[in-house]
Amino acid sequence: MKLPPLKPSYPDLESISDNTLMLKVKDGDLDKLGLLFERYKKPLYGFFYGLNKNGEISEDLVQNVFYRILKYRYLFRGEGDFRTWMFHIARNVNHDHYRKNKMQGKDSLENWQDRLSTHENRSTEMQQDEAMQLLNMAMARLPMDVREVLLLSKFQELKYKEIGTLLGCSEGAVKVKVFRALRDLKEVYLHLEKNS
Amino acid sequence: MKKERIDALVYKYNGGIASPQELAEIESLLEDGLLEINALQDVQALDAQLGSGTRPSPTSRLDKNFYAMLRKESRRKQSFSWKLFFAWPEVAPKLAFGSATLILGLAIGFYFRPVTKDRDQIQLLSQQVNDLKEIIMLTLLEKESATDRLKAVSLSQEMKQASQHVTSALLKTLNEDDNVNVRLAALDALRQYAFDSQVRAELVRSISRQDSPLVQVALAELMTALQEKSSVKELERILHNERTPSDVKNKIKKSIDVLT
Repeated sequence: MKLPPLKPSYPDLESISDNTLMLKVKDGDLDKLGLLFERYKKPLYGFFYGLNKNGEISEDLVQNVFYRILKYRYLFRGEGDFRTWMFHIARNVNHDHYRKNKMQGKDSLENWQDRLSTHENRSTEMQQDEAMQLLNMAMARLPMDVREVLLLSKFQELKYKEIGTLLGCSEGAVKVKVFRALRDLKEVYLHLEKNS
Repeated sequence: MKKERIDALVYKYNGGIASPQELAEIESLLEDGLLEINALQDVQALDAQLGSGTRPSPTSRLDKNFYAMLRKESRRKQSFSWKLFFAWPEVAPKLAFGSATLILGLAIGFYFRPVTKDRDQIQLLSQQVNDLKEIIMLTLLEKESATDRLKAVSLSQEMKQASQHVTSALLKTLNEDDNVNVRLAALDALRQYAFDSQVRAELVRSISRQDSPLVQVALAELMTALQEKSSVKELERILHNERTPSDVKNKIKKSIDVLT
């Protein structure tokens, strides 16, 4: 049984529309960025939230992504997909954020895990049942790059080819990365389940 | 790889008995697009579970911050800035357009430039026309009809640059032509070549050779206008000639007075 890798949530027509909007922003019609913001604020927030489990930081990072889009709008040529370009910026924003915090001695694994546990205990939005909670905890224990692949492929529903463009590797290599990430997740999940 | 082998690998994997070597084989199949992740039951289930979770949503704080930033940026854009004007991304297309226009202009200019070869040809043609006029003029001067000779003299006046042949022919006409009108016309035509010292000397010599009072008076007036002092002797010769009419004598005397 051959299934498509993932169903794209944004049809081609909408992608063209994204590019058109971004080209208008590039030409000085800055208000059009508002439309792109409304379209992508939630997916981007989900991406950052999946990585850091912190709502406030995630919102700041989303804001930072749109700030960079605005600042570097002249670099957008409209040849590639806007979404891929946007997530490329998002990844850079995330890396810069963590590099900065690492230098400042913040956000150590312990702090991160503390925040996760307290946050997840009071969150009702992300935890509908125990299994889901375990899965989220397992996700949180995965290394950043592994989590990132899963977030991009599963939550952002980017095509493997688009993820390949973002990560600078082939579509096949992305499939292997996703496979390994899911196996790692399964391992951590089973470990947590055993200890709970 | 045969389908049976792929099925066997998937079967083993799903059964949890795949060896590390077989796992590597599975990865290779995934990379080559011969196997899909969905075929592997455990990861497929996990994958599905991941997608079933509730997606988090940002608060209104994000909207507030974003639109504040957008408003600020719009205001900044509206206010003109030299720094922004000369910023490379802004100036690069302008520079490119300017350079392209300049190159295009130069190319068009080069394409439509006046070709030296054409210019030479025009010059040659003009010279040939002049030569032709000269030949016609010299031919007409030889004609018996005074009208033809007058035409010849007027033709010489149309020439932009007259050769020595033309001036010699006009001087010869001035000295030897039977018709007074033709001689007067020749004198009039020679007026424009009076800057040439040789022509001027010939005009002076011509004074004593004239027997027509009209030509004598015209020559005396020309000498006065040219302030040609060397002509005084020749004029005096006419003055002392008994055959010279008294009116002419008076006119010549006045000219001599002016010149001396």
